[in-house]
Amino acid sequence: MSGGMSDFDVIVVGAGPAGSSAAIKLASSGSNVLLVERADPPGSKAVSGGILWGKELEKVVPDWEKVTPLERFIEYKSTAFLTEESKVSVDFRTKKFEKSKTGYSVLRAKLDQFLAQKAKAAGATLVTGITVDSLSMKDGIVNGVVQDGETVTANTVILAEGTNPRVAIEAGLRKPLSDLDSAIGIKEVVKLSENTINERFNLKGNAGYAGEFVLGFLEGGVRAGGFMYTNKDSLSVGVVISLPHLRENGKTYAYDIMEKFMQHPYVSPLVEGGQVQEYSAHLVSEGGVNSMPDLYGDGYMIAGDSAGFTFSNGMVIQGMNYAIASGVLAAETAIEAIKKKEFTRGALSSYQSKLERSQVLMDLRKFRGIDRLVWSRLVHETAPEMLENILFGIFYEDGSPKKHLANTILQGISGSNMKKSELIMETYRMLRRM
Amino acid sequence: MSLEIVVMVKQVPDSQEVVIDPVTMNLNRSLTRNVTNRADENALEAALQLRDKVGGRVTIVSMGPPQTESTMIECMARGADRAILVSDRFFGGADTYPTGLTVASAISKLEKFDVIFAGEESSDSSTGHVGPGVAEFLGIEQATYVSKVDYEDGLIIAERELEDGTEVVKVPTPVLITVLLNANIPRRQTLRRKIDAIRRGIEVWNLEKLGMPPEWVGVRGSPTIVRKMRSIKEKERAAKKIELDQIPELVKELYEKGILKLEESQ
Repeated sequence: MSGGMSDFDVIVVGAGPAGSSAAIKLASSGSNVLLVERADPPGSKAVSGGILWGKELEKVVPDWEKVTPLERFIEYKSTAFLTEESKVSVDFRTKKFEKSKTGYSVLRAKLDQFLAQKAKAAGATLVTGITVDSLSMKDGIVNGVVQDGETVTANTVILAEGTNPRVAIEAGLRKPLSDLDSAIGIKEVVKLSENTINERFNLKGNAGYAGEFVLGFLEGGVRAGGFMYTNKDSLSVGVVISLPHLRENGKTYAYDIMEKFMQHPYVSPLVEGGQVQEYSAHLVSEGGVNSMPDLYGDGYMIAGDSAGFTFSNGMVIQGMNYAIASGVLAAETAIEAIKKKEFTRGALSSYQSKLERSQVLMDLRKFRGIDRLVWSRLVHETAPEMLENILFGIFYEDGSPKKHLANTILQGISGSNMKKSELIMETYRMLRRM
Repeated sequence: MSLEIVVMVKQVPDSQEVVIDPVTMNLNRSLTRNVTNRADENALEAALQLRDKVGGRVTIVSMGPPQTESTMIECMARGADRAILVSDRFFGGADTYPTGLTVASAISKLEKFDVIFAGEESSDSSTGHVGPGVAEFLGIEQATYVSKVDYEDGLIIAERELEDGTEVVKVPTPVLITVLLNANIPRRQTLRRKIDAIRRGIEVWNLEKLGMPPEWVGVRGSPTIVRKMRSIKEKERAAKKIELDQIPELVKELYEKGILKLEESQ
């Protein structure tokens, strides 16, 4: 550092979808940008369900659908309730998804490396295998990063560290993760041949399946969801377990839940014979808009999971698209700031207004509190069993005269562990939040 | 005093992720991550410690495909001063003989070299040939399987780990030293040094630069012919999980089977 000049215009911490998108945008606008990532290669530490919903990537890679390592486009979407012995699911398939694709399964080890290389090709300095220790501050203004006692300076730092943003936490820019706003995700990538996958999921060509599951068979108040996505020649299978419930229970192990899911009678035939290629676990930020930090300040912005930009309503789990969107918006803000040569809190405040106008904060604000519903007793304990009872009542022929459908349903409900009045209230709340 | 120090490094597939293709019996390199051979990291650390103590310069030399650049940058991010990648399609398919010859030829092109460091062996072929080979081609002294290096009065003092003890040798320079795996703790890469290394880049030397006849290098220069490969099936080992309070019974069982022996204490 000499003569008051910074080493870089912008330093981006973390080369995931948020960080790399920001770096691509910045470097292609001619900014001098450093993209630093602890994993080597990028993506080797990432754990993600693996569906990229939406088209934000278009903003940084215009021909992304041709050049990005995408696995399959999602043509078959399913949401299911599992009990010990049953599966009740809503399957949705439409040819419309073929014409206008909305989601792709991706493998992060490939995607992250691709995006980081794109940033490098655009002119960013890509440094992998190095963990930034902390932020460098001067007069309360972030002016770079510190690693091994040495400072590398920049006018703006974009923090895109992922779900456990160590640097932001250490600098006091973000509260440490708490049980209440996190879950733990466990994921396996299971290798199967392309043909086997097409046969088992009734797919053709590069059409893919994405299924979310409510694991209604868990005991002792533990609540978890499962997911299964088809890649070209592998499946991404995993569970997301609510941490508060897991801790309350105290005697259930996360990996046992994963095992139980994989061994479920209607899950195991789908993964049978596959070879486990990857096994990983990671925290999942669930806080949404309620635990969102200040998204910007003097000399810095926060993007992606680090900012709490994740969303799940039980049917769609969204993170990567928000990460890309927020990374691009942070980059746009930085580009404006570079033009004005001003990097104060005020100069970066347009990041917030850009986000408010974007899908990211609109979704998160609209669905505020959805996490409480997604993890509710209604969804995890009452609904799965109730649905099984009702449908069993409807389809089972025991030779006795058939009951009226309404009676079967009422019987199914009364067999559940929730009072009727409670159930109606909960259902009403659920519909409102959706 | 100032020493010109050379470190030979190799990029290898991450041994924890190695997958053997069941049909061709070759390493499936597409699935594995490339890393710096671990013993070479120890060789680099020994070189950096020597430079930091005596003064001088550390030059990395590697032979490999262009992607070896990432390993060279990594070495510079740990503290090396210069990196030369010897790379040309003519060098492909080399066994340890032309590899040693090619690396020796590159090193001989340097203005001066006092100490050459190499890892004891590579994790992907485990021959331990190339280091000593280079010393022979260059006609210089060598000390192998070294755990500690020092420099006094113009002599390298090397501690060699042998099967029956350690041996301390004093050798005049120029000398080649192969360093044991885990002989030291390699220093971290730093962000500042890595940025500098990326900006400076590495030097790439091809066959023409070395001025070697093509029939001396690569697959043509290799006397080894591999006739057949087979993978070795791992034998099942008896494994047993026991509770802590069952340890006395386990000890008793092992003693009765003659696996554990009682030693008389004086």
